[in-house]
Amino acid sequence: MALAPLDDEIAISELISNPYPIYKRLRAQTPVLRVKSIGRTFITKAADTRPIKDNPELFSSNDPNTPMQRAFNAHTLMRKDGEDHMAERKAMMPTFSPTNLKTVWSPAYEKLAHEYLDRLPRNEVIDLFPMLAGPLSASILSIILGMPDATDDDMQFWSQALIDGAGNFAWADEPFERVDRAHIAMDTYIAKQAEILKAEPDQSALSVMVNAENPIAYSQIVSNLKIAIGGGINEPRDCMLTILYGLLTNIDQLEELKTSGNWSAAFEEGVRWVAPIQVSSRLVMQDTTIRGFDIPKGDVVMTIQASANHDEELFEDGDKFNALRKRTPHQSFGSGPHHCMGTHLARLTIGKLLLPLIFERFPNMEIVEPENVKWWGFGFRGPLNLNVRLN
Amino acid sequence: MTEVIFVSANGEKTTVEANAGDTVMQTALAANISDIIAECGGAMMCATCHVYVDDDWLERVGKADEDELTMLDFASSEVKPTSRLSCQIKVDDENSGMIIHLPDSQL
Repeated sequence: MALAPLDDEIAISELISNPYPIYKRLRAQTPVLRVKSIGRTFITKAADTRPIKDNPELFSSNDPNTPMQRAFNAHTLMRKDGEDHMAERKAMMPTFSPTNLKTVWSPAYEKLAHEYLDRLPRNEVIDLFPMLAGPLSASILSIILGMPDATDDDMQFWSQALIDGAGNFAWADEPFERVDRAHIAMDTYIAKQAEILKAEPDQSALSVMVNAENPIAYSQIVSNLKIAIGGGINEPRDCMLTILYGLLTNIDQLEELKTSGNWSAAFEEGVRWVAPIQVSSRLVMQDTTIRGFDIPKGDVVMTIQASANHDEELFEDGDKFNALRKRTPHQSFGSGPHHCMGTHLARLTIGKLLLPLIFERFPNMEIVEPENVKWWGFGFRGPLNLNVRLN
Repeated sequence: MTEVIFVSANGEKTTVEANAGDTVMQTALAANISDIIAECGGAMMCATCHVYVDDDWLERVGKADEDELTMLDFASSEVKPTSRLSCQIKVDDENSGMIIHLPDSQL
């Protein structure tokens, strides 16, 4: 057989501004495509993306040529497989247990959500990105990770520095210099906080990791926290804004949910419609084939879950937000051993707590100039602004 | 040959051949039993492969252990004494022919 076709026209800038029309064309014409600008083989059909994630022996997470290792100053669990990955992941798992979600983090989130909603002014135009979605996501994360004294601004600055560094495929100096500054601040605070939590343990991630019977190496504890900081703010923030945009531009759906109370359906639809993490890279470990095309060992495939979530074979009018659609599994949380650790936390805090709370508090919230909402991102994607009037 | 019998919430029965050593979840996915989602792919990190073991088979198949019960808290359908995560049940000669009831929803 032959290699997959090679594209030299798709530009990174197009993928960042709006990748969905491109993915639609790829699903129809070239669902396995080597894309020169990204240096990866794009896999855009749902039936092909999931089996890749489920088969880590053939498709390894250890993609060697990304800026992530430089940005994190570490080889993190995100890029490991097998037992190494599992040991580091398991170290944090007690924090995210169902019992902790229900009895510790859920009440903590509810209290915070009330505080942040109390501060929002009524009857004027405000942007929910900086006023609610960013800081609330940062604040709950700082508590869950065991870094409660970090301010929302600190958390958001560190998170963005890590993301920008890990996504710095141009290998420019500035993002790496910025993330190095963030490391100094994070390392100092985490070291101090680890001592406090050894004396007074709680259910936070830092605490369960440092107080474990057989703790993982301290350097891995720190890397785990940084992975959570890097991924744990933008994802809830972006999906919160996406869901609110979807509901506020589809008032008929919103009214129906106010009656049914099925806010979880809006949550699932929002994360399906615009997946906060749009793509994942996997290194091919053995020669294989996908849809009849040769995929050689050493190639890096990119599963485009953003595209899988719009696949015509699974979703009717997948490009439209429809919180009332028939529930069909999406791939936004991934699958296999790297399945998102924050899945249940996000479903609970945003789907079950925040959405009912915000529409109970502001039942007549209106979106202002929805056409001016700017969507951005290829790897991570979400709205950069969401102007509303609360009443 | 070992086999598993799946019964959907509305009573539809499907008999599936299984490889001994595979989990019930893997068997269901291979046979396109769509009532099993298995979002985490068998890592016991979600509860989207929730099933009910038939009463007559529960003793042979076994009940959920403590870790599994904790994760079953996330199941979307009612958790019963017969509830299991199908990624944690291995098919073997002893339990071949087991009857597995599927819940009405996994999300």
